[in-house]
Amino acid sequence: MSAVGLIARHEWRRLAVAPFAWTLAAVVVALMAWQFLLALQGFIDLAPKLGGLKDAPGVTDLVALPLLRSFSNLLMLLVPLITMRTFAGERRAATLPLLLASGVGDARIVLGKYLGALGYVLALVALVALMPLALGAGTTLDLGKLAAATLGLALFAAALTALGVLCSAWAAQPALAAAATLALTALLAVVDAGARLQGVANAGINYLALPTHLEPFFRGIVASVDAMYFMLLAGVALALAVRRLGALRTRAD
Amino acid sequence: MSTPILALDAVSRRLAGRMVVHGLDLAIARGEVLGLLGVNGAGKTTTLRMMAGVLAPSAGTVRLGGEDLYEQPELARRRIGYLPETPPLHAELTAQEFLTFCARLRGLARGAVAAAIDRTLERCALGEVRHRPIGALSKGWRQRIGIAQAIVHAPELIVLDEPASGLDPVQALKLRELVRGLGRDHAVVLSTHVLPDVAACCDRVAILHQGVLRHTGPADGAAPGALRVGVGTPLTAADWAALAPVAAAEPIAPMRWRVRLRADATPADLAAALVGRGVGLTELRADDTPLEATFLAIAAGDTAAAA
Repeated sequence: MSAVGLIARHEWRRLAVAPFAWTLAAVVVALMAWQFLLALQGFIDLAPKLGGLKDAPGVTDLVALPLLRSFSNLLMLLVPLITMRTFAGERRAATLPLLLASGVGDARIVLGKYLGALGYVLALVALVALMPLALGAGTTLDLGKLAAATLGLALFAAALTALGVLCSAWAAQPALAAAATLALTALLAVVDAGARLQGVANAGINYLALPTHLEPFFRGIVASVDAMYFMLLAGVALALAVRRLGALRTRAD
Repeated sequence: MSTPILALDAVSRRLAGRMVVHGLDLAIARGEVLGLLGVNGAGKTTTLRMMAGVLAPSAGTVRLGGEDLYEQPELARRRIGYLPETPPLHAELTAQEFLTFCARLRGLARGAVAAAIDRTLERCALGEVRHRPIGALSKGWRQRIGIAQAIVHAPELIVLDEPASGLDPVQALKLRELVRGLGRDHAVVLSTHVLPDVAACCDRVAILHQGVLRHTGPADGAAPGALRVGVGTPLTAADWAALAPVAAAEPIAPMRWRVRLRADATPADLAAALVGRGVGLTELRADDTPLEATFLAIAAGDTAAAA
């Protein structure tokens, strides 16, 4: 097994034996299940009125996609809690020298840590995506739209996780890392709010904003430019994290 | 000394604008246990971190087997084991899980891991806690797991920063035996404040003070070439400097001096020179200054200079 896979699997193992990860997963599932059931009840109440409409929205539009959209907002709060421990947690516990002295390159350490955290985040995404899929047993779902939204959510989660790993490599304290990740993702979420209020939707500032690239996925549109945005964001964040780890070798920690 | 495994060549390290280690030249060979001594803030931990590949030097080179460690950091993977001052342990895992990760991280093949762990657990007497979470163990046990992670991959060079910290006297005694055993097959560098530990398990000591290497020599404290001389009449440093066989002299007590001879001089030459000047000779012997005295003299010398 490569060092990247080894570190990622080790991160998974550490999460699996930590009450924190299970508690967080339980809270997320409970919260999203509650929202799912509320949306489902709303749909059941509304269904008789929808029957007479032409091109009426279905259960995918009224239950599944709002649930996934809502989860995308929740991810902005969850990811910092998960990524803060990747490096800042190691520094606080004075365990980072174990990795730094291992002879494994900085890029592979960062990638391993990233994949470990991302694995957990994607498991949460999968758990939430399974809820609307369960409706497939009793009704017809727009699986294409659902797949596009889940893909968008996964790419969004990948970018947020990379930003979280970067902040964790930068900060010496986990709480600071979490706060920095939250601030950075919130900034990227609203960076074009002013432009939008003035009706500008195609400026460079709009391109920087996370919702600009996530929203098309929720409409069932998979555009390579949006996918590239998330991948580019993740790539830049991880490259900066590698640089930061290299800098830690030349500075006191 | 045989070909060194690790060689520090004019290594300096600046931290927060202050020179913490300055112009350090040091080498260690296989089969040798080197004790690194110094008061708090002397630069021991910084030196050990540079030896372990964790902290790059500001100047100079750290060579492992002749290769620059910081140009080829992957050299450290199999060849160096490192126990930092705080053992880097993942408290949520069991000792066995953690050591398995460490062994694999250090590049041990999957098939060799189980045997390596069994050997290490036995060597560190950790068998009875192998399946217990590290976080639930006492400090002494955790310290031993820290040592185990440094040796599980059988590295050529083992760097131990305060390995006796947190150990009770019985455990400390076992640690000495462990380090001596490791020193037979590996090169070991350890820092400690416990001088008897150094005398008991080190072959050589290096004393750092204010980031500068102030003394290297055998751990038993013997200083080859140096003599302890007792005289019947008071002498000054200038009187000693005027004697041809003398390279340097420093006072130990009013009538006793530590004297280092020039390379071509013998103790007989010194005795003849002293008698020739009419100085009564009351003592002349090899200076086997105990390690503690050397250590304290270096620390006290700077305290006096600063006063």
